[in-house]
Amino acid sequence: MCGLNGIFAFHTAASAPKRDELIATREHMAARGPDGVGEWWSDDRRCGLGFRRLAIQDLSERAAQPMISDDGSLVIVFNGEIYNAPELRSALTQAGCRFRTTSDTEVLLHLFAREGRALVEQLRGMYAFAIWNDRRRELLLARDPYGIKPLYTANDGWTFRFASQVKALLAGGGVSRDSEPGGVVGFHLFGSVPEPFTLYREIRALPAGHTQLIDEGGPREPRPFASLPAILADGARHPSKADELLARVRTSVGDSVRAHLISDVEVGHFLSAGVDSGALLGLMRDAGQGKIRAITLGFDEFRDTPDDEVPLASEVAERYGADHIVRRVNKREFDNDLPAIFEAMDQPSIDGINTWFVAKAAREAGLKVALSGLGGDELFAGYPSFTDLPRWRRRFGPLAAIPGMGALSRVVIGTLAPGIARRQPKALGLLEFANDWSGLYLLRRGLFLPHELRGFLEPDFISEGLRRLKPLHLVDQALTPDPGSDVGRVCALESANYMRNQLLRDADWAGMAHGVEIRVPLVDYTLLCEVAPALPALTPGAGKAALALTPTPALPDAITRRAKTGFGTPIGVWRQFAVAKTPDPVPAPRGIVSRKWSQTVLEACAA
Amino acid sequence: MNSTARTRCLALVTDAYGGRGGIAQYNRDFCGALVESGASVTVVPRHAPPHAELPAGLKQMAAPRGKIAYVLVALRVALREPVDVVFCGHLHLAPLAWLIARLKHARLIVQTHGIDAWARPSRLRRAATERADLVLSVSRFTRARVLAWAALPPERAVVVPDTVQDDFTPGDGSELRTHLGLDGKVVLLTVGRMDPRERYKGHDRVMAALPILLADGHRIIYLIIGEGDDRARLAGLAVNHGVADQVRFLGAVDTKTLVDAYRMADLFVMPSTAEGFGIAYLEAMTSGTPALGLMVGGARDALGDGQLGTAVAETDDLATAISSLLAAPKPQPVELSASAIARFGRRAFTVQVNRALERLKEAA
Repeated sequence: MCGLNGIFAFHTAASAPKRDELIATREHMAARGPDGVGEWWSDDRRCGLGFRRLAIQDLSERAAQPMISDDGSLVIVFNGEIYNAPELRSALTQAGCRFRTTSDTEVLLHLFAREGRALVEQLRGMYAFAIWNDRRRELLLARDPYGIKPLYTANDGWTFRFASQVKALLAGGGVSRDSEPGGVVGFHLFGSVPEPFTLYREIRALPAGHTQLIDEGGPREPRPFASLPAILADGARHPSKADELLARVRTSVGDSVRAHLISDVEVGHFLSAGVDSGALLGLMRDAGQGKIRAITLGFDEFRDTPDDEVPLASEVAERYGADHIVRRVNKREFDNDLPAIFEAMDQPSIDGINTWFVAKAAREAGLKVALSGLGGDELFAGYPSFTDLPRWRRRFGPLAAIPGMGALSRVVIGTLAPGIARRQPKALGLLEFANDWSGLYLLRRGLFLPHELRGFLEPDFISEGLRRLKPLHLVDQALTPDPGSDVGRVCALESANYMRNQLLRDADWAGMAHGVEIRVPLVDYTLLCEVAPALPALTPGAGKAALALTPTPALPDAITRRAKTGFGTPIGVWRQFAVAKTPDPVPAPRGIVSRKWSQTVLEACAA
Repeated sequence: MNSTARTRCLALVTDAYGGRGGIAQYNRDFCGALVESGASVTVVPRHAPPHAELPAGLKQMAAPRGKIAYVLVALRVALREPVDVVFCGHLHLAPLAWLIARLKHARLIVQTHGIDAWARPSRLRRAATERADLVLSVSRFTRARVLAWAALPPERAVVVPDTVQDDFTPGDGSELRTHLGLDGKVVLLTVGRMDPRERYKGHDRVMAALPILLADGHRIIYLIIGEGDDRARLAGLAVNHGVADQVRFLGAVDTKTLVDAYRMADLFVMPSTAEGFGIAYLEAMTSGTPALGLMVGGARDALGDGQLGTAVAETDDLATAISSLLAAPKPQPVELSASAIARFGRRAFTVQVNRALERLKEAA
């Protein structure tokens, strides 16, 4: 887990890249890579690569980056982990490759030399990398299928730039800060900026599961190599038997956890009171990890409430013999850290505060790597959306299909029941968006609905933003091809939208701000391939129940029975968000807190 | 699009062969590069003289009278001839170009130049541009402005800068200098249209700087080449600034005079605020004369980000910038010319056009 960047003056007319820019971009990512620093330039100085290293595999200087192939023709900068590196190394060695390090970076170099762009099809892991081919004078960029690791690009028509962070590209001084209406509107709709958009027109995310080639003719359009809905659709075409669920989950999740433990430094764990992180802890133990330090956040505001994760997490830690670190966070620390949080927040997000503090705690404990249960709800149908969306579609879909019904219902509810409109503003959009899956998803996950944006954005800006963003089309991409089942559809929608654009991005910036690599065994393409055949028949709760049974011993009943609360923070209390400023204000519900918090976040990020 | 067969291109342009100005020149350069690369090109111009000189392998239709006639001619040519690529030389023609590309299952290139493409166009033109396989811009600035109004994958927006003609080389311009009676003078030169609707070229700024430069002891003569209805106003402005004796309007000149004017000038100065690219900077530098412009719009590209010419901020004092350039050692004309040619010469231009064609073939 590191920070990478590069500049390639591809156009004949382009001025040679400036070293100052490369270094400024790289140094903006210093927190991502506190263990080493590197820089490489092509002989003609038209291409430069920069790197900040967080050393996790092969801690020696030999494994420093940018790493150059023995013959000098290939140079790589790589952020992430290749979990099947040992198997790939073994195969490559048998094929005659000679390794000088034990790093996965060198595996990528050898694999690229043999497979070219197709190397990505053999990789299991979270990654973003760039490989410069000096003979062909071209760059290849790649990003893992789920988009766990970030990679942003900027092309001004003469020069191509890339980096692990948006703000790092801006720090270089060579990239325009012109606003992208699609990104700004996207943030208001979703609470995070949906890729490939960013807040800036010139900066784009390389989409998850894509490679991109840049040669002297300039960057080509990104090309996909992995598709979550295609895997889910394939699973639906070849469903497994219902009684195979537990065995399938146990084998595949166990395998994923084992793969994710590969490291030359200690691997810790983020433990909540939920099934996902609890099961992972048990599976870490089952995989043979001796010492496990597990970290749980505790908030005084949650003490003695169902939101307090500490008591149950302690029970789970004890069950699997982990050293349990309970890290208390209070309003004072939150206030103190807030400027640093906004500074580290690469793009605005209404989440990520919890990850900031748990990563901070990990760093305080001396950990560089920790596993997280992120992704369990998406893969094993843990969110209410898995039941809500199909139900809403059945109930409201036919009515919503009547032309004009959406706008009419909005006017009627807004006029006759203004109270509902105030307390449940999204209720106004129910009949407008319930007609298809993407609309339902926007309704379920959306922060604001399009018709609400007029309250704080200019009408021209909104219409241009919506035109460029095409929010429903963007969401709908997660359903192409059709995953073939309701569970598969919601899994694809959640994985490719909320999880990718918010949870995984938050895990990156918040973890990296503290030099902590967050690994997510439940967000794994190989695991998805294994589990996909079992998803169509998954009944509510069955996936999580199976996951709870995977470790030995299984998770305690108290964990599986616990109502889902989310891995939350008391931001509403800390920021004193209330429904109304009366003498006795009523605490705002979570949705309203998110809306209010989003405005604070955007102001801070746009500053 | 067949990657091995000869590419057949239909070029819809405002003007090209026989036309005047930067856009016509670009269209000629582009179509010429297509022909050089082995493509066959049929040009349908909006305006053209009857007997324009054409390169081998290229056909230019007579300019139809009126818009409707133009559409009919373009459609007739498209229906009669095989077309692999439709080159749309101006945003105004984009809807028609899109329609023809659609009818012929051909690839569409939309070319954008300067201020014509900086503001959001009509919905129809925008929609046609967004459906293009490739949108070419002459500068990074124009490209950025296009991407501001067009929801287009950025990879499809490509910069193919203007190029410079082979006539512009370093050499001895002293004959013209003597002929104009400018021996012993410091000559500032601007080449550009004087259009009252487009007062962005910066003549006014230079004139405002002249009194300061004269007061500093520079024996300045400001030569203005070009024509246009704004000339009388500019002449009046020179009188107002008290520099009427130092400002000379040469009007439109032939190519040889233009080349010699570039060669004998001490400094080419054009503080324009709205250049799509600014071929004149390039002509000056390839003629061996240093160029000064603003770091604004497409001029930044022509000046090579300040590495070829000098690009100052709009807020900088122009007189100070001119004064320091006049005081600095003059760049070696041959070296300056070679540097400009390396970036923007015809060879570089042909390479860029071929790369654009390659991209169309990749996407096919």
